[in-house]
Amino acid sequence: MFEPMDDVIERIARHLRRPVQIDPALDGRVMREINALPRLGGATALQKAWGWLRRPHQVTLTPLGGLAAAALLAIVALLFRTGSTPLAPPQAESRVFQFVLVAPRATHVSLVGDFNDWDATRTPMRRTGSEALWTAVVPLMPGRYHYAFFVDGSRWLADPSAPVARDEDYGEPSSVLTVGGGS
Amino acid sequence: MTPTHTRAALPVLAALLLAGPTAAQQTDARLERLDAATRSTVAALVDSARSALLPTEPLVQRALEGATKRASGEAIVAAVRRLAVDLGHARDALGSTASPAELTAGAAALRAGASPTILAELRHARREPLTVPLAVLADLVASGVPVDSAAAAVLGLAARARDADLVEFRRAVERDIALGAPPAAATAAAATAADVFVNAGARQQRPGRP
Repeated sequence: MFEPMDDVIERIARHLRRPVQIDPALDGRVMREINALPRLGGATALQKAWGWLRRPHQVTLTPLGGLAAAALLAIVALLFRTGSTPLAPPQAESRVFQFVLVAPRATHVSLVGDFNDWDATRTPMRRTGSEALWTAVVPLMPGRYHYAFFVDGSRWLADPSAPVARDEDYGEPSSVLTVGGGS
Repeated sequence: MTPTHTRAALPVLAALLLAGPTAAQQTDARLERLDAATRSTVAALVDSARSALLPTEPLVQRALEGATKRASGEAIVAAVRRLAVDLGHARDALGSTASPAELTAGAAALRAGASPTILAELRHARREPLTVPLAVLADLVASGVPVDSAAAAVLGLAARARDADLVEFRRAVERDIALGAPPAAATAAAATAADVFVNAGARQQRPGRP
């Protein structure tokens, strides 16, 4: 047989209403235990932050907030990618070439070609060492260049040590220099 | 030139051939060295080339070369127009991805007498830039080597040779020619040394275009 439910409830309520006897020394024991714990007040801000980062947290996010966060991450990733990846192909490196002409009787020699707009004033050659030797140094990117020596403002000379450019248009001689890509 | 190449080149050719004195949108300041009439026509040619996505710097340099060498305006315009057409043909043969340097070298090879087919075969044979192989081809023909021999040698080398190897090959041929060897034989000898078979008896052709 079971007791009626109302009697059971009444009995439990009476039991819960009885005054609780607490040990008078309880407060003292609790405080001693607390004081025995390591003090948190001495931790630096960095230690607190590290502790916060190491503890699990619950983050509440609305769908709209989630989308905004995803968009922000995408933008950051795009900026990082743009900043670290060159947009243009790397420029080929230029190579330095020395042009030499033996012209014992010349008083002025210019190097002119596709690399200096055929401007006789841009690359004057220097007399070096022997009085007959004229030199100029020019950095050039890979490509095929036509050039010539302009002597004393009136005479055109092709480079005797380079292939001849077949010039059917202007008549004056030119030479060809081909600069490879370094392969 | 194949029918496909011809069809592709027609619009470019028409624009270049019809280009006349016009007020260019922004004329290159370097062209101030030309007289007014020549400058106007050259600027129009440069604009047409730019519209056709061809490199314009070689055209400007060609015009400046003429000005420095005191060529006539007609000669300068003719030279620039011829180079623009050659650049268009080179682009048709080498493809739209060809670099300005490759197109310039390709135009020189075409002007020397190489066929567009040879340029296209070079494009398929070599993954690296074609500037040096095309330039070597043009230089060999300018040295008197028959086009067929020069093309066979360069095609044989192009697939595996470095730029420096190709330049050395050209030097070897020119050295032998300077020592008195017939150009075709010099090419065959240098090619044999480079382990390339070249028909030294290839049909002799006069270098350059008729």
